[in-house]
Amino acid sequence: MLKVVAFRKAIFAGAAGALAWDVAARALALSGVPVFDLVRQLGTLAFPNGSAALWWPAGVVAHLAVGAGWALFYAYFFWARLRWPPALQGLAFAALPALLAIFLMVPQLQLMHLGQDVVQVDWRSFVVALEPPILATIVLGHALFGLTVGAIYTRPVGYRVGSPPGSPYAPRRRRRMAQTTRRQADGAFMFATGIECSYPTVDSGRWRRDEMASMRHYELWQLDFELARELGVTHLRYGPPLHLTYEGPGRYRWDLIDEAMAELEALGPEPMLDLCHFGVPSWLGNFQNPDVGEALAEYATVFARRYPWVRFYTPVNEMYVCARMSALDGVWNEQLCDETAFITASFNLAAASVAMTDALLAQRPDAIFVNSESSEFYQPCCPDPAIRESADIENERRFLPLDLLYAHEVSERMLATLTGCGRVEEYRRFLAREVPRRTILGVDYYEWNEKLVDQDGRKRALGELFGWYVIASQYWQRYRRPMMHTETNRIDASDAPRWLWRQWHNVQLLRGAGVPLVGFTWYSLTDQIDWGSALVEARGAVDPVGLFDLNRDPRAVGLAYMHLIEMHRDQPEYRHCRALKELLD
Amino acid sequence: MAGFLSAHGYDPGPTQRPLLAGAISGVLATVPAIALLHAFGSLRVEAGILRLPESLTVAAGCLVMAVAGATYARLFGRAANQVRGGWLFGMAFGFALWAAGAVLVLPLVSGGQVPAGEAAIGVFLSLVAWGAALGAIHPFVHRPLHERLDSGSHRDALGPGAATRKWDGPRGPRS
Repeated sequence: MLKVVAFRKAIFAGAAGALAWDVAARALALSGVPVFDLVRQLGTLAFPNGSAALWWPAGVVAHLAVGAGWALFYAYFFWARLRWPPALQGLAFAALPALLAIFLMVPQLQLMHLGQDVVQVDWRSFVVALEPPILATIVLGHALFGLTVGAIYTRPVGYRVGSPPGSPYAPRRRRRMAQTTRRQADGAFMFATGIECSYPTVDSGRWRRDEMASMRHYELWQLDFELARELGVTHLRYGPPLHLTYEGPGRYRWDLIDEAMAELEALGPEPMLDLCHFGVPSWLGNFQNPDVGEALAEYATVFARRYPWVRFYTPVNEMYVCARMSALDGVWNEQLCDETAFITASFNLAAASVAMTDALLAQRPDAIFVNSESSEFYQPCCPDPAIRESADIENERRFLPLDLLYAHEVSERMLATLTGCGRVEEYRRFLAREVPRRTILGVDYYEWNEKLVDQDGRKRALGELFGWYVIASQYWQRYRRPMMHTETNRIDASDAPRWLWRQWHNVQLLRGAGVPLVGFTWYSLTDQIDWGSALVEARGAVDPVGLFDLNRDPRAVGLAYMHLIEMHRDQPEYRHCRALKELLD
Repeated sequence: MAGFLSAHGYDPGPTQRPLLAGAISGVLATVPAIALLHAFGSLRVEAGILRLPESLTVAAGCLVMAVAGATYARLFGRAANQVRGGWLFGMAFGFALWAAGAVLVLPLVSGGQVPAGEAAIGVFLSLVAWGAALGAIHPFVHRPLHERLDSGSHRDALGPGAATRKWDGPRGPRS
């Protein structure tokens, strides 16, 4: 798949573009300008001797169909390749059909209108002497077409916040499949993948990104679960769409996910339920809202009552990333760019995670919490005190949400910041909390997680400098919780198998060093959409990071992961993972 | 195009057989194309231009379309397996084939003789229809031809040794 394409929008855009061309051509013809009448040319192919009542509608229909086809071609191959305003992208694209029309289609149409079966041609046949006004109207027609298509075909993925899809999940289909049953967590090392499920808002809260919709998981959920089972993964990180299922206080749409949850319960893989993934329902606003925690705790309570068999939960995914992107980098949800807003978002997210954890424990006292967080590290480029301080601030800031969740003291500098924000009392309450025993610190790692603070103070991705082993060790030293590698992937699909094995060797090394590591995850099952722009631009660009592509055909890394799982799952040290067994008991 | 696509991870996957599936799809897609050629009288005209019997023209066409189908599948890689957009990719490929084959190459091999009138319409429609049919059926032809995940020919190449090298698409591991 090249792009995620909004078919209806593209077809409408193409038909509208063709119509705009026809209207302009009629207007010019009526005012006495000689024009290239494409509708007549097409219509009289079907009805060479017919009246206008016959050829005109046939010509219009043919032209609209051709327009729709070209617009689909534009949507797949051209849209969003240029960083230009959409209408200008369409205009630039229109040069292709215009050139084909002038040098190929118009001469061929003339051949097709001849009343004989065979003609003799030479190279001059391709250079039809078109009169300048005719040539000009061909160019003008294509320009109008391109401008119209470009202006209409924008944002092929996501939807207006006020217009969510009604019932996106496809009904369950009876399929003939190998009969399996869900393998209960039994203390074996967890080999996991996940369904990418981010749903932040962008464009000042007006546009909802919905990765599961873009990846067609709502349509293909049954196949996705089947593929995960086929690979041999034991656990699936799965985040039902909070923004669709939680319609308001006391109002839930469990019907959307009941069938998917029933299939996971019956057949597996064992799900790790991710209840809040980078967004909240629109009625809750954003992460500056102090009521988010209470509302999500209510959601967690009702969720656990409805699906009492679920044992693994991620109450809030990657709190640091969510707070940073929403309140410091200004790209998601509240889209703010200041330290106080970041602190507020971090506290609200941590409070939500704590409240949800307590709510879930009240329903399921043996629930296991996988607190997935992005591992980060900032390296100063040089001994410049300002640069080093900048890196130090970032290296302290990355821990804030986890410090709150795991009742760990923050640095002196961070404490001063919290004091300045009037958050010290609240911070002390977090510190006084007893962290549940059954918690797993999930540490995610991507090639951009290590950053260099350069001489201008900018943060640049370093690639894999120290690697997951070193960065995850820092998190282990700080929190001393059982750990899991909860996300990794590689944007370069050809390098993904190598990356997978290298990450795995990091896991093995850390386990060998005595760290209680209970699982590994390739994230995600399928390719993802628009992470190249952190979901900010709704372009529909496919990131080939999945174990399967969006056609659900396996990628090389999918095969490599299957190989890895088969090779290790029955080895004694993975078959019996003592650290996980202690959590399960 | 091929370089651009593979750079974005669209090389055929380790379980896929694009050339075989493309060749089969290419031949199957000739059914509507031949029907159109026949309906517009283009088959008779083309056979006349090429100085071949109609049956031999059809046979040669099937052979060419098998090669063209395999080329399509290899060129479009994973994109050719898409059910929603396959017909469009195939149609674009069919259009390109018409422009290259019927418009440019045919006059060269026939001493400048080309179909005109209804026969020319038939040639155009048949190649566009062939492309659309090729793209539409290819995902369904390809799926049952996939190698199994657990016993595919590339399985061992993606084992632990893959930690040391990149995967080079259908050519396997790259050192």
